[in-house]
Amino acid sequence: MFKLNLKIALRNLWKNRGITAINVGGLAIALAAFILVTMYFTYETSFDKSNPNYENIYVVGRIYPEFKTNYTSPPFAKAIKQNFPEVELAGITKGGFFELVIKKDKNTVFAKNFMQADYNAAKILNLKPNNGLEKPAGDVEGLSYLSSENMKALFPNKKDNKPEMVGIGASNSGITSRIDGGIKKDLHSNIIFDGISIRNELGKGENYGYNNYTTYIQVKPGADIGNLEQKITNLYRAELLKGETDKKTIEEIKNVSTFLDPLSNLHLRPKAGNDAPYKILIALSVLGTLILVIACINFTNLSIAQATKRAKEVGVKKVMGAYRFQLTSQFLVEIFMQCFSATILALILAELILPNFNNLFQLNLSIWHIDNPLFWQLPLVLLSITLIAGIYPAMVLSGFKPSLVLKGNFSTSKQSSWLRNGLLVFQFSVAVIFIIGLFIINSQLKYMRSQDLGFTANQVVYIKNIMLFNKPEVFEPVRERFLKIPGVKLATVATDVPNGAENGSNGYTTNGLQANIDFVDVDFDYFETLDIKLKDGRFFSSSFKTDTANAAVINESAVAKYGLKNPVGKTIRGCNIDYKIVGVAKDFKAQGFESAIQPTIYAIKNPCGNYKTQIMLKIEENKMADALIALKAQWPEINPKDGEDFRYEFLDELYGKLFKKQEQLQSVFFAAALLTIFIAVLGLFAFAKYITNGRIKEIAVRKILGASDVQIFKLINRSFFIMVIVANLISWPVAYILTKKWLETFAYRIDLPLLPFVSSALITITLTVITVSIQAKKAVKANPVDALKYE
Amino acid sequence: MIKIENLEKIYKTEEVETTALNGINFHVKEGEFVSIMGPSGCGKSTLLNVMGLLDKPESGSYKFIDTELLTLNDRERSNFRKRNMGFVFQNFNLIDELTVFENIELPLIYNKIPASERKTLVNEIIERMNIVNRSGHFPQQLSGGQQQRVAVARALVTKPKLVLADEPTGNLDSSHGNEVMELLCELNETGTTIVMVTHSSHDASFSNRIINLKDGHVVSEKINKRRNEELI
Repeated sequence: MFKLNLKIALRNLWKNRGITAINVGGLAIALAAFILVTMYFTYETSFDKSNPNYENIYVVGRIYPEFKTNYTSPPFAKAIKQNFPEVELAGITKGGFFELVIKKDKNTVFAKNFMQADYNAAKILNLKPNNGLEKPAGDVEGLSYLSSENMKALFPNKKDNKPEMVGIGASNSGITSRIDGGIKKDLHSNIIFDGISIRNELGKGENYGYNNYTTYIQVKPGADIGNLEQKITNLYRAELLKGETDKKTIEEIKNVSTFLDPLSNLHLRPKAGNDAPYKILIALSVLGTLILVIACINFTNLSIAQATKRAKEVGVKKVMGAYRFQLTSQFLVEIFMQCFSATILALILAELILPNFNNLFQLNLSIWHIDNPLFWQLPLVLLSITLIAGIYPAMVLSGFKPSLVLKGNFSTSKQSSWLRNGLLVFQFSVAVIFIIGLFIINSQLKYMRSQDLGFTANQVVYIKNIMLFNKPEVFEPVRERFLKIPGVKLATVATDVPNGAENGSNGYTTNGLQANIDFVDVDFDYFETLDIKLKDGRFFSSSFKTDTANAAVINESAVAKYGLKNPVGKTIRGCNIDYKIVGVAKDFKAQGFESAIQPTIYAIKNPCGNYKTQIMLKIEENKMADALIALKAQWPEINPKDGEDFRYEFLDELYGKLFKKQEQLQSVFFAAALLTIFIAVLGLFAFAKYITNGRIKEIAVRKILGASDVQIFKLINRSFFIMVIVANLISWPVAYILTKKWLETFAYRIDLPLLPFVSSALITITLTVITVSIQAKKAVKANPVDALKYE
Repeated sequence: MIKIENLEKIYKTEEVETTALNGINFHVKEGEFVSIMGPSGCGKSTLLNVMGLLDKPESGSYKFIDTELLTLNDRERSNFRKRNMGFVFQNFNLIDELTVFENIELPLIYNKIPASERKTLVNEIIERMNIVNRSGHFPQQLSGGQQQRVAVARALVTKPKLVLADEPTGNLDSSHGNEVMELLCELNETGTTIVMVTHSSHDASFSNRIINLKDGHVVSEKINKRRNEELI
């Protein structure tokens, strides 16, 4: 019996090969998208999962009334370990501050993040140097390891794991250091480094004020985390209160608390950070699933639409004594076969798209590796889609009454046409939402690109540097050298460049108000180099002697924050210095579009600040190339520390990276929207074909009675037209809410435009009318006599 | 062999109720060839469907050699049908995707006959129906008469006790129609009981007994003397 059923199935599929191709092809495309999304989801949610203690590792962070941070101080980890037996290990790490230049003979590598970790942290984080994790013993303070890639670059011919001596910095710096081996860099981890130094102890002698470290703890399985969190908060307050007499400080400490953030949160939704990546991932998964659902709907719809063709077969088989169950399973097997072929096709498609996908998300995913969870996920998905797409048609088909269908004048009931129409409306609703979403993402990105940033990143070259220029008199001769190079118009140095990174923050008081605001320590010509506009007063100038001592410029947001009326000339106190406000700078978007502009103070002198190392030069566009060549040539003299290693970036490119995430989102949305529309139109195409075929006799009769072609086009389009309108009406409010939510993640955003809503309606209506009319044309052009003779 | 008593069947739609069978009483003896005639809508097809267990009446009794069939569940009805009954339809109802051979083989498969035996049985009947050179063709490649022969072959291949025919010549021209009727007569002569619904008194003249239905009742019954005499 199976053989005959197989024959019936294959011959049927072949007879309707157009529709079969649409069914299987559409499903394969959707499945391919789904496979990619599933792989991406698995990848993104499994950071550090290879760590055997994944479930039991937490980052300890601090909560202040105004912010949350993962930065903690060295003594804290020790205190936690000593006080709480449920904490098995506690360790700390510290990120690298400089880009380290490491040399061996003629080979050079730049280690952007040469981090430090104490032995416990290395154990918690499962950091395994190639020759095994060792505790620095005896006089050795620490063991340094370079990532395998860097190791390979420095020692291309090295085969063993023996320690090597390398030079640090410029070749004439004379600094050498020992590298104890290589360590495999795991990109699928939250702990990313180019090199690492594993220390016996980190931050020796540093107190609770040195919040430059990340504290990791590993708890015993089953520990009560909520309780531990509370106990750690109490411990932290107690530690801070030790020896504290200042009443105000004591009051403040009572408002400080701590939190434990599981390792599994760190990549996508750290408590001290934003959860946008997580939301995007969820959105992406929903997109992938929706596309698959839409393809399944096509399947269901077309299978039911074709039911009449199979009705006779069902009737005959029932008359011959087939059970309903036999027929149901026959149809399910048929649908399974199609889904199976679609899955194979989908795997091939996914493999073909994967390189582009990897490129877009800068990943290195592959399908064919043994521990890919896809190999159990996919059969599950295959079964699910077979059931979703197949169960209803199988029930409908196997439920036909032979006494009705065998009379030969059978048509599917009204009831199932309701369902089909409903499914079609659903498909188009999703398509409309995607189209609207696409338009709005586009407008926002366009707005971001064209919007005035408040500063000009064009023609600004950012030079990487390890010399400290905190004192203006140290930078002055350097600036003079720069300015002698033809094309260099301005030169300055600061603690931060406007590349989206966060600035440092500190407490400042003015107007009787104390607040934590951002600080950026600058040098002369900082505002001029970046072309930041002046609102009031003046910028720093070397003609004012006091500018290097206690002058400050604040931005508009800071003026607003403190509620200052005439800020110029007023005093603002911070770091035990009474700064005189000499000017107000217009706000500029140093941190991109997602976060609002922070109240910021700019000063030349700031003992509590960071290192001024970030050099920025404004260079004339047409002399750019020559200037860069000259800079490179003169760099060893200008900056003996960096020596021959002249490295630079264009600030506009650096700032442009802030848009990358949004651009990824745009590409994904574009692909998803196109796919959905494509699959929905495919479904519509086949469905319209079926509907028109079913109405050929009606059309013939109408034509004989004198209907014109246009009237018949209208007749066939009418129901589809209504469905598309309904789909638009349903999806507008949904799209409105979703896009509004998305736009709210931007501090600077467009007003929700109306045009996308209208355009999506126009697009879907046009597509529908074209698709349906192509099918209707055949029926209209056919000779009515042929249609009627057949009955 | 068949005893039908007080059979009642009502079709309900949202607005109207149609009584198709209105307390019908009706008997068929083993080996008989009965024609059911009557105007359109008199209930003859409904009666045939009920007899074929394709439709369930509201009330009444239907005994087939002392077995009451109306109390059976779906599965039992399927089983009874495939073992005891064969069907011939006006519009043939062959499966387009299967060849002549495969179409005829189908009921045997549902009766779980082993493949080798199936082959013998199908070949036997194909020969008897004179369609040997058509066995690999698909239904669309045959003339109407040939299609109906295949349908008859399919109905007979399981050697059913009862063959139900619903206007078997309705879609055929008169010469092909006669062929089919002669086939049914031959079949009847070898002992198969046949109940046939027909519009044509010519076709009915081939049977032993003609029953006239109107508005769901049996209005008259007539023994076909000529045919009975022929038989004697």
